[in-house]
Formats: sequence, structure tokens, C-alpha cells
Amino acid sequence: MITKEILQIRSDIENNLRKMLARAVMVTELDVFALPCGCSGITVNVRGLELDDIEVFEEQMLSFFKEVASRLEIPSSFIFARLVPGSSVVAAINWRVLCDRCYPEFAIASGKTPRPDIYIMHFERRGQKGKGKKR
Amino acid sequence: MKKRLYVPHPGHFGGLKELISEAGKDIYSIFMAGSPDYVGTGRSNLSSPQIEDIREQTEYAHKNGVAVEIVLNSSCLGGRQLTPEGFNLIHWYLGQLDSCGVDTIVVADPYLVEIIARDFEMLPVVSVLSFVDSPEKAKFYEDLGAHSIVVDPDVHRHFDVLHAIRDAVDCELKLLVNEGCLYQCPFRYAHFNFFSHAFGPQPRPNVLDDYYYDRCIMLRIKDPKLITVSPWIRPEDIKEYADITDVFKIGGRTHYVNWILNCVSAYTDESYDGNLMDLLDCPKALKDLYYISNRDFDGAIDHWKNCPTICANCGFCRELTDRAVKVYAGGGTENEELVLWSEMVGKTKVSA
Repeated sequence: MITKEILQIRSDIENNLRKMLARAVMVTELDVFALPCGCSGITVNVRGLELDDIEVFEEQMLSFFKEVASRLEIPSSFIFARLVPGSSVVAAINWRVLCDRCYPEFAIASGKTPRPDIYIMHFERRGQKGKGKKR
Repeated sequence: MKKRLYVPHPGHFGGLKELISEAGKDIYSIFMAGSPDYVGTGRSNLSSPQIEDIREQTEYAHKNGVAVEIVLNSSCLGGRQLTPEGFNLIHWYLGQLDSCGVDTIVVADPYLVEIIARDFEMLPVVSVLSFVDSPEKAKFYEDLGAHSIVVDPDVHRHFDVLHAIRDAVDCELKLLVNEGCLYQCPFRYAHFNFFSHAFGPQPRPNVLDDYYYDRCIMLRIKDPKLITVSPWIRPEDIKEYADITDVFKIGGRTHYVNWILNCVSAYTDESYDGNLMDLLDCPKALKDLYYISNRDFDGAIDHWKNCPTICANCGFCRELTDRAVKVYAGGGTENEELVLWSEMVGKTKVSA
């Protein structure tokens, strides 16, 4: 049953982050979303996580986040942290499968923070599946 | 202890009926927000009762022996109140509330305290967002016409200051028992100014993330000692305030009625067996993170009554936190368990 599975995944993400950071972190919500433009994916709202944490443990977090995507059968083509704009507070982690309309917005941008509220952890350019993250 | 309880009301008539039918005998007054179209409040709104709704609810509450308080405690009115148009609109709205039979109005702006005291039957109450934390400030508001003052919770554990305020004024003093905000919160002014506009008259800022809230929650996730140090008052401890006041206010008008009823029961009985987080209004997002047995705080008031709040020299709250705060792990799964916070973060010894 999907609800049981997402409850377990919410808990696993929380526990994994806690072990990594050796402190409490709270995953307040795990959502599956579908947008009218055609984008879809999952969002994990998180409290107690800062951008510094991601930068230090990015490799380990990314590896785990890809595993999460796999468990939910969602392509891990685009994974990013959503920040409270202009701050180091991480509000959410997003796994987003971009639609054809939204993909170019991110494909033409450069750097890991194309907007003040987004920190890109992983972005697969189309035709470059598995070739690594955006630099 | 004989006391008067001010109880939060989300604002809808069904909620009022439930509060009164379940706990009417324990409620001295309910309080709720008015319409944000005129003056905002210090909290988000679950509902915004219009004038006729307030009139109807006030009649119902009075029939049941319960007073009605309307909260218009915006900490920033944007200067609109000082313009002729703004003054006329606010004055008209206050007149409407007065005609509804509302008993008391909570405001944060001294200007509104003076206007209400001068022009209306209903009585002005100085909001917790006026930050009355000294006898001088209390005297100022009393001289302005305040009927009642909700004391700044930051001095709840400074009994010398509380006694000095009590000695300085004759008006009613009210203690907000369960706000749960950070002690000496650095976000307090900015956050409540933001709320005043986000939940006040148009135009309202369209904000996706509340930086102040998210940062506040993060601080308490990183160190739950901030919850221990926060100046809430346990149900068991309100008797310690008997020579200050007999009027206590339970915060939480953005909560559901069953949550409010649980608090009313705890503060009426002056006893609670359960998670302290169930009673605290502000960090409600953390009640699914922390389990803090209220019983583990038995007797802590004896320390706090004489606490100089220089934490670096003490360690009492640090030790209490390390011993009492548990964290939910595996929440929502079959393997849910409670882990001692101090073990989770790998603390091997207690330090200040």
C-alpha cells in the first residue's frame, strides 16, 4: 500500500539525516505532487536542516536521495533543496521530473543557485542521463 | 486556586458552542480575532468573523455566563491609524464591536488603548505584543486607560519584576501561560510585524516561507533547551503566581477545539499527565518531534523562581533538557520509538 510505503520513506529520510548530522532533524511532510504544466515528483518538507549541512554532506545525501527516488519509482533527474529565499534555512528537498515547458528554464541556467530559493543538488541534462550534476 | 481563565476561540460559532458545552463552567472569557479587514492580529486566522457573527456569538456567550474578548493586537498598523481615513475606519469598527456587547478588546498600539478607554464601553486590554516587562511600562499603560495588561512572558520567571509590576499598578494583570515562544526571542518584533501585515488589512504580502518561524523551529530542533528555557507556566505552577494575579490566558486560537479543551482541562485542574508539547501554543510543529513528560518538570519552578537567567553560570535547564527531552524516531511506522535527545546527539556528559 502506497501510504504505508511513504510513511516508511518519510521516517527513513528523517533517520538518515539524523544519523548523518548527529542531531535531530524533522521531516514534517512528504508529498507527492503533479502540476498542471506536466511536472511531477515528491517534496519533503524539512525542519532543522541548513544549506551548510547539504554542502558538507552533499555526496552522501545525494546518494541516499537517489535511492529514495528509486524506491518511489521516480526518475532522479532533478533534485534540489528549496531555501527560504536569501537565507541558509532549507525548507524542502524536491525530486522533480521536469515537463518540456519547465525543463529549458533550468537547462539554460548556470550554477547551483539559479534562484535565491533553489540549491541544485543534481540535474541531468537531457541526453546526458547519468553523466553527473550541474556545475 | 480560584482563577479566571481566558480561553482561545478559533472564531466559528460551532467552535464556541463546543467550548461552552464542554467547558463553559471553567471559562471566564473566550477571546478571538476580529475581521482582518480593519485591524490585524498577532496570529494567523483560522476564521474572520464578521460583525453580525460576533454579535450573535457574544449574545450566546453572555447567555451562558462567558465574557467575550476580541483581539486586534496588530503590532504594526502601518501608520494608517493616524490618517483621517484610517482613524475613521478603525473607530467605526470599534463602535460596531462595542454595539455587539463585546466585553474587552486586546490591542498592542498605545494609541488604540487611549481611544478605546475614552470612547467606548468595552474595556481596553494591553496585548502581550506591547511587551510590558517593567513597572514603568505597566504604569504608562494604566495611566493611558488600560483595564488589563497581559504581561510580557519574558518576565514570567523573574518574580522580582512581576512583583514590582503588581505593586506599580492597580489594573488587572493577565499571564499568558502557554505561548512557548523563545525566551528573549530575537525574531519577536519582526515576526509580529510581519504577521500584522500578512493577516491584516489589504494589501497583504504573498509570502511562501515564513523565515522567522522556520528559523525559530530550527533553533529548537538543534537545541531543545530553548524549549525548557522558554517562559511558559506549567498547570501545576500557576499557584506560584497567586500573589501576582488570578487571571490566566491560554494561547492557541489557531488550534482546533479539542486541543483547546485539553489545555482548559489541564489549567483548570492545575495538573497534566502527558507531553508538555501538547500544551504549548507556539512550537506546535514540534509536538511530533519531542516528547517531554510534564512530570519531569515537577519542582523546576523552585529553581526558576530564584533564577538569575545567566545560563552560562548555571546548567540547570541544560541538565533538565538532557534528562527529560525524548525524540520520536520512526514516527508513523510500526517501529516508532522514543529516544533520549541527549543520546541521539551523542552527549556523554552534562554541560552548561
